[in-house]
Amino acid sequence: MKKSKYDGSFYLNPYLGGAILGTVLLLSFYLSGRGLGASGAVKNTVAATVNIIAPQHVEQSAYYSQFAGGDKKPMSNWLIYEVLGVLAGAFISGIVFNRLKLKVEHSPKITSRRRLLFALAGGLVFGFGAQLARGCTSGAALSGMAVLSLGGYITMVAIFGTAFVVAWIFRKNWI
Amino acid sequence: MIGPIISSGIVSPAWDPIFAVILGMGFGFALESSGFSSSRKIIGTFFGYDFVVVKVFFTAAIVASVGLLYLNYFGLVDFSQLYIQPTFLTSAIVGGVIMGIGFAMAGFCPGTSLCAAAVGRIDGLVFFGGMFIGVFIFSESFSFIENMFYSGSQGAKMINTAFGISPELFTLFLVLAAVGMFFGAAWVQKKVKKVEY
Amino acid sequence: MERKYTILAILLIVLALGLVILPKEKRQKEIDPKLLLSAVIENSRYLSVDEVTHRIIENDPTLMLIDLRPGDQFKQFALSGAINIQTDSLLSASTLELLNQPGKDKIWYANSDLISEKAWLIATRHSVNRIYIMKGGMNEWFNTIIKPGDVSNTASSADLDRLSFRNAARRYFIGAGQTPEMPIAKKTPEKVNFIRKAPEATSGGGC
Repeated sequence: MKKSKYDGSFYLNPYLGGAILGTVLLLSFYLSGRGLGASGAVKNTVAATVNIIAPQHVEQSAYYSQFAGGDKKPMSNWLIYEVLGVLAGAFISGIVFNRLKLKVEHSPKITSRRRLLFALAGGLVFGFGAQLARGCTSGAALSGMAVLSLGGYITMVAIFGTAFVVAWIFRKNWI
Repeated sequence: MIGPIISSGIVSPAWDPIFAVILGMGFGFALESSGFSSSRKIIGTFFGYDFVVVKVFFTAAIVASVGLLYLNYFGLVDFSQLYIQPTFLTSAIVGGVIMGIGFAMAGFCPGTSLCAAAVGRIDGLVFFGGMFIGVFIFSESFSFIENMFYSGSQGAKMINTAFGISPELFTLFLVLAAVGMFFGAAWVQKKVKKVEY
Repeated sequence: MERKYTILAILLIVLALGLVILPKEKRQKEIDPKLLLSAVIENSRYLSVDEVTHRIIENDPTLMLIDLRPGDQFKQFALSGAINIQTDSLLSASTLELLNQPGKDKIWYANSDLISEKAWLIATRHSVNRIYIMKGGMNEWFNTIIKPGDVSNTASSADLDRLSFRNAARRYFIGAGQTPEMPIAKKTPEKVNFIRKAPEATSGGGC
């Protein structure tokens, strides 16, 4: 374990963290036959919300109707339960490693406001892309790589390749 | 017991949500304790000052792939019962590029933003909120993107068949590439100026 | 520190190398005869023609229809999206690869059940999962879907529903107003490893 610089909190050795993550992923395939994910829970929540506000709209939409409306239960989904677990697990880790703190984390060179605007815009863009690619870094890329899915590898290369280029454009936000 | 436990009918499907919560907790704990709740630690990969993403991500991928193939070899898991994401070339590439842009702007991906929100990072929460808007926009404009969404279909294709090699051989190459990357990352990290975060 | 990582890296590479070197025969194990017997006794392998037709019309992405009839009959008319497999090539490497595609329900049919039953048994012994038989084969399909029978006055509402579904299905396959004598093939399916453009399964997987 390595001591971080200023707040006395600990990070696991990244290889140990990766091995734990890989084991959890392996168990997920062994127990439930599927990989881990995160953005699918957002998709189902959005569909469930729209279904409450405008049920006819869900019936007509070629996208929502795949997982909401009728007798489908978008909120009673594996990914929803899993995401609740993620929140709990991260919270426990936050307690264990003394990292619980309400704050906006950003580079000292930018304001909190700018950081939050970029976080919002980034989330919006990411949400859109995750739907198009049928999954995010965990659902499509990581879980897909574990079962050697071609699409998982393509998505992984596309995400990291693009992020390398775009991070350089936005470098003033970070370093 | 032959996995996947749920689809082989050994335990009742009612256990699935319980497994989901427990697995989610493991997932969240692994991400947070590796430092994925900090966007500045994550983004370090792209500037060379912290390669935690590369290390954790690829270690997890090779542990899971090698593990799955061993489980398959010893007959403990039935590969054909696993969910394999279908491949749609166009949407995988375009979606991946769009996600890359979002990643570089915010320094989070959905799973890590949840972890950040869980330990009180407001930017993580805001990112997660932004995703709802993005998903909503996607769903509402689905009729315009539907063609792209379904184009380039390859079925549930596996990457080793695309190269015409066995899954085991591909995994060996993957492990070699990952190990090479780990040593490369350690080398770069020594060269690059430290960034305090 | 460096040495510790080197050892770990070598360990991983050896593990992965082990996968490549381990003999493969063990994996092509035949199914346990007891399991096979219980699978033979159980009738869940049969799907009615109505169920199959329903799934064709709904463009079910998990559906994989396999036509076991001779090639010339297949060319004349086949269910849409079906793949023609000759019984003699059932155990060829390319067929087994096709059959072992994950996430697909393989549904056999021939003219009657005779050939499908045998093919089902052989493939099940080779540990191919999710194989079903369209009960009655092509003859039954033609009789129920293309030539729906008359309905009696005392028919229950479920019977009426089934009849109207079959009428709709007939229009789907041969077009409205066509006489049932000459079914027209929707398209001439080709004898290739056919991967249909599949809509995403309902909220399945993904993140």
